[in-house]
Amino acid sequence: MKSIGIKLSTTSSLFIFLGFLIAVFSITSEHFLSPYNITSLLTNISYSGIAAIVLTLIIISRGLDISIGGVIGLTTVVVATLYSQNDPLPTWLILIIGLGTGAIVGFINGWCITALDMDPIITTLGAMAITRGLAYVISDSQSILMFEETTDFISNGVFFNIPIPIILFMLTALICGVVLHKSKFGRSIYAIGANEVSASLSGISVNKTKMILYVFTGMAASISGIILLGQTSVGMPQHGIGAELEVITAVLLGGTALSGGKGTIYGTIAGVLILGVLFNGLTISGVRYVHLQIFQGLLLLVAVATYEIKTRNEVAR
Amino acid sequence: MKSWLKGLVYGDDIVGALVIFLALLILFFSLMTPHFWSSNNFYAIIGNIPAMAIVCLGLMYVVLIGDLDLSLGSILGFTAILAVFFFKVMHFPLWLNLISCVFVGGLFGALNGVIVTKIGINSIITTLGTMAIIRGLAFWIATDVEAMQIGRITDPSFLNFARYYFPEESRLIPITLVYIALLYGVSFLFLNHTSFGRKIYAVGANEATARLAGINVKRVKLVCYIIAGMLSAFGGLVLVAQLGLGEAQTGQNMILEVVTAVVLGGVLLTGGKGRLTGVLVAVLILKIMLLIQVSS
Repeated sequence: MKSIGIKLSTTSSLFIFLGFLIAVFSITSEHFLSPYNITSLLTNISYSGIAAIVLTLIIISRGLDISIGGVIGLTTVVVATLYSQNDPLPTWLILIIGLGTGAIVGFINGWCITALDMDPIITTLGAMAITRGLAYVISDSQSILMFEETTDFISNGVFFNIPIPIILFMLTALICGVVLHKSKFGRSIYAIGANEVSASLSGISVNKTKMILYVFTGMAASISGIILLGQTSVGMPQHGIGAELEVITAVLLGGTALSGGKGTIYGTIAGVLILGVLFNGLTISGVRYVHLQIFQGLLLLVAVATYEIKTRNEVAR
Repeated sequence: MKSWLKGLVYGDDIVGALVIFLALLILFFSLMTPHFWSSNNFYAIIGNIPAMAIVCLGLMYVVLIGDLDLSLGSILGFTAILAVFFFKVMHFPLWLNLISCVFVGGLFGALNGVIVTKIGINSIITTLGTMAIIRGLAFWIATDVEAMQIGRITDPSFLNFARYYFPEESRLIPITLVYIALLYGVSFLFLNHTSFGRKIYAVGANEATARLAGINVKRVKLVCYIIAGMLSAFGGLVLVAQLGLGEAQTGQNMILEVVTAVVLGGVLLTGGKGRLTGVLVAVLILKIMLLIQVSS
């Protein structure tokens, strides 16, 4: 059999798949392409997209962070609790403390992983439990209402008719894309993921790089948390449960390899968009949430299995 | 004398240190809280243990080969729904219900095992996926089958599966204790005194060496996943019979606690090392600590 002349890269085949999904859903549902739905779709994916973009860098460096959901919950609770005090701090300070929450968790993760040489998955699994537990303790298992202008603007405001979360998502993608693909720091992330020992021997300070990545992932999760807080106007410890599954699925769907050293920001953007379009399209076509969960798990497994088999064939060739 | 103590605390074997810690914990709380030894509190502690101890045993098999299975809580939840379904809709007798549930648990375990060994996906990613899938299936059955919307079971013939006592009148030994003793006892013999059990340790300690020594590594791993799935299903059934209730949410946050207990019990996450007694003592420590938190 003659092989097809065009050889597609992973990313472009993902975008073709995305186009296919959009075509299918615009036929099955007349509302899919309405401006309102497109805006709400993009706003919804921004929340997990920001965390997914930054997580991509960690996975390329052969790490993993599954404490994202816990950090999201903790951040919403910390910010809402500080705001609901009798004499609250100024909002900008509260938001900085919110970002600091994620940074501190990221720092502790990074410290355990670099200084104590602990396994990233186990470390962040522990962090996930601790952050979630702390969120329950601080909030006393209550939901804390928070109506405030700044967080409301961050989540629901518009700038030149573009919702702020989408702008934040695009900014994160732009910054991380430039850092990963155009800077020396980005090259060192790939080098660490491909082979940590040789990266260290060639003069890259591995521990410092990893530490920076974990701190930034924590902060990205906090940004997601603040967006979620503004969207729901409530800080509660249950926020972000299952977010890690969504975020990791998006990153792996985008072609980033768990074994490190491989992956692009474009891939992750495609992964985030595919997940968002798929869930939005299925939802407005009348598929229920319980079935979406099954789809999500299947998608994760199929995506990873495809890349795994592809890599194996390439190695065998 | 000193070296004996040192060996206990710093030594290779963590079980001794855990037992001492447990004893101190019990001593501390029996002094601090007057109700610790009251029968109510005591039964509350005992009642919480069985399902957890059984799932921990299942996870231990997977951790021993150096993997992790996050889907066990979902398997337990799915079994809880399935047991109610079999009982209410299919009217299965208890023994058939038990066999079917454990069989389905084994199937889920086999699914995990096949994906991990044949396709070669990292075990955590695999089970993160199956965790969502299995939980979704449980919610699906629970919401779509009308008879399932209230998962309450009151029939004593089913409930006695976990609420029976030996002897029946004096309520001396709960049947769940017998299950734990049996399962841990059989596992002890299996892991330490059969060649297959030793192969599990060998695969976990060093997969390449094990393969070179002629061990079918993939089969050993697959069997461990199946055992874990079957034990989780059994744990789910015990939980349903204890609570008289099977819901799709059952065991939703359980897996973290289970991983904690197994790690605390001294089972090495990189595989190849760990003892049953350590896991059992760790379960006791965790459950007592959690309960004290509530009662004080």
